[in-house]
Amino acid sequence: MSTPKAPPGTFTLLYFAAATSYTRRQHDHLDAPLPVAALYDVLEKRYPGIRAKVLSSSALTVNLDYVDVDEEGARGEAGMVIKEGDEVAVIPPVSSG
Amino acid sequence: MDMFTTTDTHLTFLRTQIASTESQLRTLKAQLAQAELSAQTARQLHEAYQGGFPAEWIEETLGALDDSSERDIARKLRQDGGFEGAPTPAPAAVAVPVLDAGGAKARAGRWPLADEEYKRYGRQMIMPEIGLHGQLRLKNAKVLVVGLGGLGCPAAAYLAGAGVGTLGLMDGDTVEVSNLHRQIAHKVRTVGGMKVDSAVEFLQAYVKLQTFASSSPSDLVCSLNPNVKYAPYRSHLSPDKAVAIFERYDLVLDCTDHPTSRYLISDACVLAGKPLVSASALKTEGQLLVLNNPPRAPGDASSGPCYRCIFPKPPPADAIQSCGEGGILGPVVGVMGVLQALEAIRLLTAKPPAPPPMTDWMDLSMDSTPPVTPEVKPTMLMFSAYNTPQFRSVRLRSRRTDCAACSYQATVTQHSLTTGSTDYIAFCGSTTPLDPLPPESRISARDFARLPTDGSNILIDVRDETQYSICALRGSTNIPWNGNAEAWVQDAVKRGVMSGYEDGRERFVVCRLGNDSQLVVRAVREWLGSAVRVREIEGGFRAWREGVDRSWPKY
Repeated sequence: MSTPKAPPGTFTLLYFAAATSYTRRQHDHLDAPLPVAALYDVLEKRYPGIRAKVLSSSALTVNLDYVDVDEEGARGEAGMVIKEGDEVAVIPPVSSG
Repeated sequence: MDMFTTTDTHLTFLRTQIASTESQLRTLKAQLAQAELSAQTARQLHEAYQGGFPAEWIEETLGALDDSSERDIARKLRQDGGFEGAPTPAPAAVAVPVLDAGGAKARAGRWPLADEEYKRYGRQMIMPEIGLHGQLRLKNAKVLVVGLGGLGCPAAAYLAGAGVGTLGLMDGDTVEVSNLHRQIAHKVRTVGGMKVDSAVEFLQAYVKLQTFASSSPSDLVCSLNPNVKYAPYRSHLSPDKAVAIFERYDLVLDCTDHPTSRYLISDACVLAGKPLVSASALKTEGQLLVLNNPPRAPGDASSGPCYRCIFPKPPPADAIQSCGEGGILGPVVGVMGVLQALEAIRLLTAKPPAPPPMTDWMDLSMDSTPPVTPEVKPTMLMFSAYNTPQFRSVRLRSRRTDCAACSYQATVTQHSLTTGSTDYIAFCGSTTPLDPLPPESRISARDFARLPTDGSNILIDVRDETQYSICALRGSTNIPWNGNAEAWVQDAVKRGVMSGYEDGRERFVVCRLGNDSQLVVRAVREWLGSAVRVREIEGGFRAWREGVDRSWPKY
C-alpha cells in the first residue's frame, strides 16, 4: 500500500520492520515543524515504551538522508527541524536472514 | 678571388654541412628512439595480446591463469613457455579439491580462459560492465559467504555462477525441513546434514568417494559450477578466528541472522581491511548495506561507514525476532541474497580509474596529476515487498568520529577480539528467562487433555489471528497477545472470557510455545486480581503435540 500525501501542516513518518510491529502502523502524519531532537518524545507519548524497545537502536532518515538524532540534539537551537511535507522514516535494524 | 675569401667560404660550407648533418643525426636519433619504442610496444602487445586484453592487464591476468593459490607469475611464464608442466591443484587443509569437469582448465598459451569458460560466462562477458577484464577479476577473487541460509544460498549460487575464483562457505548449522522454502541450495536429501556440505554439493559436485584423487569423472555428478574453488568452514564464526579468516579473502558477505554476528563480522572486516556486503530480511522486508568501502584504516574519514556507524546500539534482546518467530517470505530473503551477489560482482569488477589520456609519447616525461578516485556514496537499500514503492535507497552518513570500531578512538581491536574482551553476547544482551509461574498457575498439556469438555472451563488461545487460523482447538477463543497487558485484559473483558469470573469456571491460556501464555496469566493477575482462576498450559501447542496429539500441525 502506498502512503497518502501529508495533509497541510504535517509531515509523513514512515515505520519499517520492528517500528511497524510496535506501532501496528505503516505511517503517521505528525504536526510540522518539529525539531528532530523532539521527535522521539512525541513518539514516546503516542506509543509508550517505543523509545527503549525500538527508537534507541533505530536509524532515522529525513527525506532519504540519514540523520543522527543525538548529534542534532547536541546542536540545540541549530539542530535540524522537520518541515511540512518532509518524509521521515524510522528504520530499525533487521538482523534476521 | 683572394685566398681568405676562399677559406671563409670553405669554413661556412663546412659549418653548414656539420649543422645539417647534426640536425639529420638528431632526426635519425629521434626516429630510432621512436622506432625502438614502437618495436617494444609491438613486442609487449604481441606477448600480452592473448585474445584481446591490453598490456596493462597482463600481470593480473597471469595471476588469474595460475591455478595455485600463490600467484607465481615467473612460474606461470615458464609454464607458458612449456618449460614446466601445468600446476596440479594441491588439496589444502580447508579447501575442497578443485574438480576438472570437462576441460574447464585454462589452456596455457593463447587464451586466458578455457573454451568452456568462454561459453559459460559469455553472456555476462559481452557486456562492457564485465568484459574479459571483469571476468578475470572475478576468477581472481576470493569471497567469503558467512551464513548459508535464505541469504547465503542465493548469494553463493549467483557468485559461483558468475565464476568467482574462490568461495568460502561458513555455517555451523544443519539443514531443517523448515529451511527448504527459501534456502535454495538445500534439499530433502540433505536435511540433517551440515548446511555447508549441502551447499557445496549444490554448487560444486557430489563426490561419491572421499578418496577424490582416485575417482573417475563418472563418480561425479557435477552441479552449478565445478570451476570454482569452495572452502568450507563447518562452524559459526568466532571472534578469535574472524580476522585471520577474513584476511584470506577480498570481500565478505554477511548472510547471518543475529545482531551478535552482524557486529562481529563488521568489526572483523574493519580490522582485516575488507569491504562488507551486509543484508538481512524478516517477514516481508529486507535491508542491504555495503559497508567499510573502500576499506581504509580506522580513523580514515574517506572510507565508508561500518555497521556500528549506522546502528551504534543493538536492539534490545527481547525485541529480536528470528525467521522462526516472525516469519519470512522466501522470495523476500531471496531478493536480498541476490542483491548481495550483485553488489559483490559490482565491487569486484569495478574498473580502476582510467589514467589520463596520453596524446604524445614525448609527454611521458611530464608530470601527470594522479587520477582522482570517485567519492563512494554509501547507501542503504530497503525492500518492503508489500509497500509502494517496494524499494527505497537511503543516503547514509560517513564514518562516526567516535565509532568503537572504525574511528581513531576505536576500542575494538584484533587483541580485544582474540582475548574476548569485546564481548558480543554482552553487548547485544541476552533475554532474561521468564521466572516460571508457581505450579498452581500451570497445567501440563496431558492434564489439560483429561479435563471435561462440558463447558465447565474456558480455553483462551493467545496466538495471533494468522496462526489461529492455521490450527485451533474447537471451543477456544482467540485473543492475541500483543505485549500490552492492559490492552489485552480490556480486550478479554470485552470479548466476554473474563466477565463473570465469579462463576467458578476456570480459564486456561495457551500459546505456541508456552511463553506468551505465562505473560497473559501475569497480566490477568495484575489487572483483575487473584479472584480469577486462570492457568496456562505449559509448553503451549508444542507440548500439546508431543504429549497429546501427534497429528497437531508443527509449523
